[in-house]
Amino acid sequence: MSSTRFRLAGATFTLMLVAVAGCTTGEGVHVDGADGASAGGVLNAAIGGEPDQLDPHKTSAYYSFQVLENVYDTLVEPDANLEMQPALATGWTTSDDQLTWTFTLREGVRFSDGSPLTAEDVVYSYTRIIDEKLNTAYKFATVRSVTAPDPTTVVVALTAPTPNLLANLGGFKGVAIVQKANIESGEVTTKPVGSGPFAIGSYTSGDNIRLVRNDNYWGEKPKVDGVTFTFVSDPTVALQNLRGGEVHWTDNLPPQQVPALLDADELTVRSVPSTDYWYLALNQARKPYDNVAVRRAIAFALDREAITKAAKFGLATVNQTAISQNSAYHYEYAPYTHDANQARQLLDQAGVSGLTLDLMVTTEYPETVTAAQVIASQLAEIGVTVKIRTLDFAQWLDEQGNGNFDAFMLGWLGNIDPDEFYYAQHHSGGTFNFHKYANPTVDRLLDQARTETDQGARKQRYEQVAKQIVDDASYIYLYNPDVAQGWSSGLTGYEVRTDRAIRFRDAALAK
Amino acid sequence: MARFVIRRLVQSGVVLIGVTLVVFLLIQLVPGDPVRVALGTRFDQETYEALRARSGLDQPLVPQYFDYLRRALTGDLGVSFRSGRPVTAILLERLPATLSLAVTAVLFAMLVAFPLGIVSAIRSGSLVDHAVRVFSQFGVSVPDFWMGIMGILLFAGVLGWLPPSGYVALTEDPARWASHVALPAATIGLVTASILTRFIRSSMLEVLSEDYVRTAEAKGLRARVVVLRHVLRNALIPVVTVVAVQLASLLGGVIVIEVLFAWPGIGRLTFDAVRARDYPVLQGAVLLVAALFLLVNLLVDVLYARLDPRIRVR
Repeated sequence: MSSTRFRLAGATFTLMLVAVAGCTTGEGVHVDGADGASAGGVLNAAIGGEPDQLDPHKTSAYYSFQVLENVYDTLVEPDANLEMQPALATGWTTSDDQLTWTFTLREGVRFSDGSPLTAEDVVYSYTRIIDEKLNTAYKFATVRSVTAPDPTTVVVALTAPTPNLLANLGGFKGVAIVQKANIESGEVTTKPVGSGPFAIGSYTSGDNIRLVRNDNYWGEKPKVDGVTFTFVSDPTVALQNLRGGEVHWTDNLPPQQVPALLDADELTVRSVPSTDYWYLALNQARKPYDNVAVRRAIAFALDREAITKAAKFGLATVNQTAISQNSAYHYEYAPYTHDANQARQLLDQAGVSGLTLDLMVTTEYPETVTAAQVIASQLAEIGVTVKIRTLDFAQWLDEQGNGNFDAFMLGWLGNIDPDEFYYAQHHSGGTFNFHKYANPTVDRLLDQARTETDQGARKQRYEQVAKQIVDDASYIYLYNPDVAQGWSSGLTGYEVRTDRAIRFRDAALAK
Repeated sequence: MARFVIRRLVQSGVVLIGVTLVVFLLIQLVPGDPVRVALGTRFDQETYEALRARSGLDQPLVPQYFDYLRRALTGDLGVSFRSGRPVTAILLERLPATLSLAVTAVLFAMLVAFPLGIVSAIRSGSLVDHAVRVFSQFGVSVPDFWMGIMGILLFAGVLGWLPPSGYVALTEDPARWASHVALPAATIGLVTASILTRFIRSSMLEVLSEDYVRTAEAKGLRARVVVLRHVLRNALIPVVTVVAVQLASLLGGVIVIEVLFAWPGIGRLTFDAVRARDYPVLQGAVLLVAALFLLVNLLVDVLYARLDPRIRVR
């Protein structure tokens, strides 16, 4: 009762302060300098967090790549359908034995500081990743050498045929072409120099990064003068900023509000299925999860629709395989209908009763925490008691690495080639095979598909892999989440991409 | 006085070294491997080992600590695991934002707390006194992030008077700085004001019951003169400590509020460093906060000695 009065009292005090500070209120929109009025304006984008650093070869943070997508170029790049298209390379040829790829570079490309970008820069970039064993080194596992016979030619020699080489060299900006001087001066962490549509203008630690149009850009010049990325971690606050006109674009929307926002008039909110997948993994180094019947029982006990509704407010597509429906590699296979009876029978067959399952989830991805509660209630129906263990991500990764779990839920983010969906996770020697899955048939198929150059045969092998993994319940796939982003009605020319790349090169602002 | 200050400075130095040791040891106990966090979900063993070596985490603990201490004495707090940038530079970048927020919040709190505390003490037991006590109880018990969200919804959402979040440096554009600082500073300030109001009230009440106040009243001095010259002056001495302690704790950055309002200060930096297990930044931030705390305490003691001559004798 009286608390209302005192909330009002609080409001009055705030007003007092505003009056004391003598500030003008209401005009929240940033206009950066006088040039803001002359051409396309500055696009304000709110992202959920701050990049850890801006060296594309060293960061692994999504927040960094949101910015770097607009600053750097790769040799090739995925189009809206995730097909690889020319970027810095205008064309390429492959030798008969598939072991030598020769790329022809675009002529006259310059870095944003005006210096030319030549084949030597490509050689330098790739060699740096390989020699210093940087984050994306695994993408160059089959690369024997990278050479530049002339300024517009790059030759990549391989130890084995690598049909997904284009995806490896252009899938994302972690394999960007960097400038040697920028790396050696160490400026790359805060003021990277790329050849992309925008260049770094200024970086205010903790607050924002301002990009300005790169007038040396080889492609069509961006329509906006610049892009300011502000770091707003609270989604309610980000949405408030968007509504108030303080920002023009954000991907940090409160998920529970997105369904309503999709119909709202004042904002444009778009949601498309992503290439990410979320799954449940059972520890096959532990009993009774080494028994496929137990894993299948759990797969049958899950109601994916209910999980999706709780964890993603319906903003996801249920799936029992890894690859989403909009990919050419999607394989239609869904044997696990929600069936508690079948699940109980399988558990009886395996002679398992009174099972207690330790399910590890992380606050880093709140959807796993919510989903775990639904999973727990669903598994209770088949007599499995779930103990949910909620950890922060650093601790979670430790426990995962040490194999200290019965089960965990997590997502695998940003994939293009099928090899990225399966190899690290399901090959017995895979670096992400923490649940200790080992099936010699799958190993063989994965090894073959990696070097299979016939597209049809390759697709067929991955379909066999997909089926076997589902049958073995190596991972119990749950859903492919949507990518939801919102922008003000004045922003045009922008489209949400399934790989979550944020490209503002074609965006324009209404005056 | 000079000897007093020097002795306190030396003591502070010893405390700071102790802080580095405690923080260093505590961090070792925190679970979670910073290299894994930095690499995310995709890495191979070779990449992992390479980054571990680059971050110096493969070195034994004791040399790691002494190396850290030796370099810290020269102002070099190491480099961030995540960004590879010097920690000292990062801290200095973030300090102005936290300073400006903390000082504004404390000024706001004092502006609110002094009138309320004094009135409430003089009219002890009246309706006004009760209202003030309810207000301060409310401010102390309601979580600050909730008040922050309410503030955003009201002033940014419904009324549209203030930006919901963000930061502009005071030196860059004072008017826009003020519009951005208003909400977070008022949120923190209300909590601080509640604590301060209570303290001023009880301190005033204590002095009001002193003999010399009765004497002053008996002399026939006007009530205003008694309150301002005799009561307030003496009641102020302990209040100075409370204000200073509040300020010092705000200088460490109010983590929840800085995160909520996207305020690029020490609090948000600490939050990010913990999440990323960025030990050098975390260590540096704790050290900085400890140093500021000691500095503020030293200043308070000096101020105290000036306000109350009895302290100087000791």
